[in-house]
Amino acid sequence: MTWISNTITVFGGLLLAHACYSAQEHAALQSFRAAATSTLTSSTPVASSLPVDIAIETIVATLVIVLGLVLGTRPLRPIQWRVWAGKIEREGEEGFLGNNGEVEKDYMGNPFTYLESRPSFVDIRRQRKEFAEWIKNGGGDAGKK
Amino acid sequence: MAPSLLFNPAKLPPSEALQLAQQAPVVLQGSSSPSETVDQWATFENLLLACLRTGDDEAAAKCMDQLEARFGPDNERVMALRGLLSEAQAENNGELEAVLKQYDAILEGNSTNLVGHDRLRQLFPDRRFANPPCLRLQPITKRRIALLRSMGRVSDAATALVQLLDFSPTDAEAWSELSDLYFTQGLYSQAIYALEEVLLLSPNAWNIHARLGEVQYMAATTSGSGGGSQQKYLAEALKRFARSIELCDDYLRGYYGLKLVTTRLLKEQAKQAKQTDDGEFTLPDPKTIERLDELATAKLSEIVRHSTLKDRGWRGYDEREVAAARELLSQNGIER
Amino acid sequence: MAQVPVQTIHRDPQLFYWILFPITIVMILTGVLRHYASVLMQSAPKKLDQKAIREQRSLLHGINLRGNFHALSKKSFATRRDALVTAFESGAYLKDPERAGQGQPNPLSDPSSMEGMMGMMKNQMAMIIPNTLIMSWINAFFSGYVIMKLPFPLTIKFKSMLQAGVMTKDMDPRWMSSISWYFLCIFGLQSVFNFLLGSDNAASQMAQQMGGMGAAPQMFGPGVDPDKQFKAEAENLAVIEHYSVLDDVEERLLEGITA
Repeated sequence: MTWISNTITVFGGLLLAHACYSAQEHAALQSFRAAATSTLTSSTPVASSLPVDIAIETIVATLVIVLGLVLGTRPLRPIQWRVWAGKIEREGEEGFLGNNGEVEKDYMGNPFTYLESRPSFVDIRRQRKEFAEWIKNGGGDAGKK
Repeated sequence: MAPSLLFNPAKLPPSEALQLAQQAPVVLQGSSSPSETVDQWATFENLLLACLRTGDDEAAAKCMDQLEARFGPDNERVMALRGLLSEAQAENNGELEAVLKQYDAILEGNSTNLVGHDRLRQLFPDRRFANPPCLRLQPITKRRIALLRSMGRVSDAATALVQLLDFSPTDAEAWSELSDLYFTQGLYSQAIYALEEVLLLSPNAWNIHARLGEVQYMAATTSGSGGGSQQKYLAEALKRFARSIELCDDYLRGYYGLKLVTTRLLKEQAKQAKQTDDGEFTLPDPKTIERLDELATAKLSEIVRHSTLKDRGWRGYDEREVAAARELLSQNGIER
Repeated sequence: MAQVPVQTIHRDPQLFYWILFPITIVMILTGVLRHYASVLMQSAPKKLDQKAIREQRSLLHGINLRGNFHALSKKSFATRRDALVTAFESGAYLKDPERAGQGQPNPLSDPSSMEGMMGMMKNQMAMIIPNTLIMSWINAFFSGYVIMKLPFPLTIKFKSMLQAGVMTKDMDPRWMSSISWYFLCIFGLQSVFNFLLGSDNAASQMAQQMGGMGAAPQMFGPGVDPDKQFKAEAENLAVIEHYSVLDDVEERLLEGITA
C-alpha cells in the first residue's frame, strides 16, 4: 500500500511544482509585456490576474498531496477503551506495528499485568527452580528453535 | 516475536526468558555508550532478572555492577536488586536467613525506604518511571516480604504486608500480593477484599476484574452447597466476568470464566435459594443466564477457531489459555 | 510628517565577532553551568517519615474510594466507608493526633518547610548571581555603543530597553546596544537550552518562574491542616449515593455484543 500513497504524493508534488513554475512564467511574461507597452504608450498597464487554469492546478495539486499523505498514514489507534484493550488481548504485539515493521515504542501491552506478575515481589528462587525443571524436560531444545 | 528487554520479564514463559538472557553478552558489550537513557537502565534491570532466572549468575553480577556503579550502592532499588541476587544464590536456609537479617538491618536504618524511586525519577523525568505511580516504591520492604513468603513463613509475610499497607494503602501491587497470599491460604473472603482494594485503585483493569471473578468462583466452589453464600459468590463472579468483557472485547479469560459460571448456574438452577436483598448482587433471571451462556460459548469457539488457524489479528492469545478453552468447550460437547 | 530617511550607520564588522559572539557564548555556557550547578546543589529529596506518609496515603485512599466506589458492591462499599469515616473523624491516621483541631501550624516554625524554602532560596541565588555578574561585565566592557540593527521595525517604547547606555535621542529603536543583546539572549536562549540539556533543565527555570508562580495549590504542603482535610473527606464519603457498574452489566453486555 505504501507505494500507492507515495506515487500519489509525488505526483501531487510534481503538479504543484508545475503550477508554481507556470505562475512564475506568467508573472515574468506580464512584466515583460508591461515594460514593452509602457515604452510605447506610457500608459499604466492593467495588472492582469493569474489565469484560472493555474489556480485550479494549484488547488488540485494540494488536494492530491493531502490524499497521498492520508493514504500513507498507518491505521488509526482505537480510542475506545474496550476496543483498545481487546486489540491488545487479541492481537498482542502484532496489532501495534509501526510502518517499519517494528513494534511501536510506546506499546506497553496490558498496562495492568504488573498487578498480577508483581515484579517487586518476585520469588526468584522458585523461578530458578522452575526454569531448571523446564531445561531438564527438554525445554531448551524448544527454545532454540 | 522476540520479547523486549524493556519490560519486566517476570511473567514470560521460560523459553522467552531464555531468549532474553541470551542477549546478555551483546547488551553488556554495548554498554559503553556515553549518553544514558532510561531505556538503557531498564534494560539492565530486566536483563539482570532474566539472567538470574536462567541461572546465568555471571552476567547477572555484571549487570548488577553496572547498575551499582551508576546509582550507587545505597540506592534503594539497587539494594533490593542486590538482595535479590544474594537470594537467588543462597544455597541453604541459613544463607537465606542471613539475607533476611540484612534486609531487617537496612529497614532498621531508615524505616520507610521510599525515596529511591523518586530520586530516579528526578534523574530521568520519563513517562515510564512516572507511571504506574506506585511501581516499586518500597523495594526492600517488598523484597523482605517476598523472601518471607518464599521461605514458607506465610503468616509472617502476611503480617508484614498488612503493616506495609497500613501506612501505604494506595499501593495496588501490594494489595494484589496480599490477595494472592490469602488466596493460597484458602482465605477467600480476605482475598476478595484485597482484590477489591486493587480495583479501587485501578477500576479499569480488566484482568483484575477477571481475577476477582475467578476468586469468587473458587470461593463458591469451596463454600459448600449451603445455598445463600454460594449463590452470592456466583452472582458476583458472573458480574465480574461480564464487566471484564465489557472493558475488553474478546477477552478470552473473561469469556472462559463466564462460561464456567453460567454452566454451573444452569446445572443448579433447580435448587436456587430465595434471594434476599441485603446490598449484594442478585443473580439475573434464568433466561439471561442462558443467553449469556450461549454468548460465551459462541465467542469462545470463535476465539479458539481463529487462534488455532493462526488467523491474522488473532495471534495475541496465550496458547495455554486457548488450549484450556478448547478443553472446556469439548467438555460441554460443543465443537464447531 | 516628512519621510524619515533610512538611517545608516557604518559599523566595524569586527564588532560582530568580538561582542555578539562572546556575549552569546558566555550566556550559553553560564546557562549550562547553572544547570549542572543546580543539579549538584539539589538536596536529596527529603525523606518523609512513616507517619507522614501514612497520613497522606490514607487521605488518598479515601479519595480513591470516593472516586472509584462504583467498582464495588454496595455491601463492600458500605463496610469500607464506615471504617474510613470513623477513622477519619477520630483522627486515627493523623501524624500527631494530639494536635488535631489546633488549627494550622505556622509554616515558618516548621523545620520541614524551612528546608523547602532553603531549596527555593538556593535556586534563586543560582539565578541571580550569574546574571548580575554577566550584566556588570557587559556594562563594564561593552557599554555605550550600537552593535547591530534588528531586521524588524520596533516602536519607540523599546528605545529605553534596546538602547540602554546609548544617549542618542533620534536614533531608530532598531539599533541595539550590547546590553540589549544580553537581554534578548536571556529570553531567547530557552530553546537552545532545551536542545542542549533536555526539556527539564534548570537553566530554563527562569521563564517558568516568570510564568506562573504557584500554579497548583499544594495538597500536602505546609500550612494545610490535615485534620480538616480528613474531616472534609469523611463528609464527602458519607454523602455518596452508591451505585455499581456491575448493576445490569449482563444486560449491557448482551445488548452491546448482539447489537
